Amino acid sequence: MEGSIANELYSEVLQSSSVKLDGGSNAVEANDNSYENDPGDLWYDDGSSCEDSVEKLNRASDMDREWQRRRDQFHTLGYRDGLIAGKEAAAQEGFNIGFKDSVFIGYSWGRVRGMTSAMACLPSELREKLVEREEARNKFKCLHESVQSLSTTDALKLFYEDQKRKSSNQEEAEPSSTTIELDLQNPDVSVLKTYSEQLHSLLSEAPLFEETFKIN
Amino acid sequence: MDSTVDIFESSLNLEETHFKEGFDEGYGDGLISGKQEGEQVGLKTGFEVGEELGFYRGCVDVWNSAIRVDPNFVSARIQKSIKQMDDMLQKYPMSEPENESVSDIMDSLRLKFRAICASLNVKLEYSGYPRASDGGKIEF
Repeated sequence: MEGSIANELYSEVLQSSSVKLDGGSNAVEANDNSYENDPGDLWYDDGSSCEDSVEKLNRASDMDREWQRRRDQFHTLGYRDGLIAGKEAAAQEGFNIGFKDSVFIGYSWGRVRGMTSAMACLPSELREKLVEREEARNKFKCLHESVQSLSTTDALKLFYEDQKRKSSNQEEAEPSSTTIELDLQNPDVSVLKTYSEQLHSLLSEAPLFEETFKIN
Repeated sequence: MDSTVDIFESSLNLEETHFKEGFDEGYGDGLISGKQEGEQVGLKTGFEVGEELGFYRGCVDVWNSAIRVDPNFVSARIQKSIKQMDDMLQKYPMSEPENESVSDIMDSLRLKFRAICASLNVKLEYSGYPRASDGGKIEF
């Protein structure tokens, strides 16, 4: 019974203090609490006062629990605010790091997309002048088709997978056993890079193109 | 009565202390998770921006080569536009996502690209983004 009254009282205090954390609520608190801290208070004259010492013990542990609860409550409130503030403070830095890690990879991949697309749109006589060998022209066409079948999202997925593989590569320091496994996965490592390499080898077969590539 | 007042003063301070403790702990965790989350967004955005720029670069490469082979491939006006795209691509600060000029350059690049394609009468579109296979939702 004692405990329930205390809880009732406290819960009011807690409510008021969590609603407004400013000094205003403290006056209310102080009032409520001052009753409890006075052993000769009215509440304890309700018949149960003969077990005074037990009650005091109970009261002490109630107080402890209550303090703990309040500690947790304020801690949680603070944690929430701190988490938001911390996230805001670090987001841009993280963004810049991620951006720099991916922008150049996206760029070389996009260049493959751009070159093969623009090639496909050239008038055929011009294309024949640029890439003299028919076999090479066909390779350009094939590359264009496979690149077109990948959306940006698909490419992004491939890129993520590469990144994941890279980071797990770095984490696993044991060389001998793991490298074999990783080599087995290698066929699809850096699919994007493979496209880039295909383009480069095609360009090296087309001297007129290579010139442009070197200039940039 | 004085002593009770003191107790409540300390209780008030305790609340502040607990709040502060929680705040500091949260702030530390926030720095870590905020950086990670930012990095994920950065990876995605960087890749997309890079791909689009690379795409334009590749087109300009091909057009430049074509012009070198056949100077009459396009009109002088379009050649000028291609040159402008070339210049913009070269000055685009790719490793500075916070640079204020980036969105302006990207907008001009898109406009020029569309204008050139229209003049060349080719249906060349930057076809990257739209054909996402799964609504664009990707998680690491």
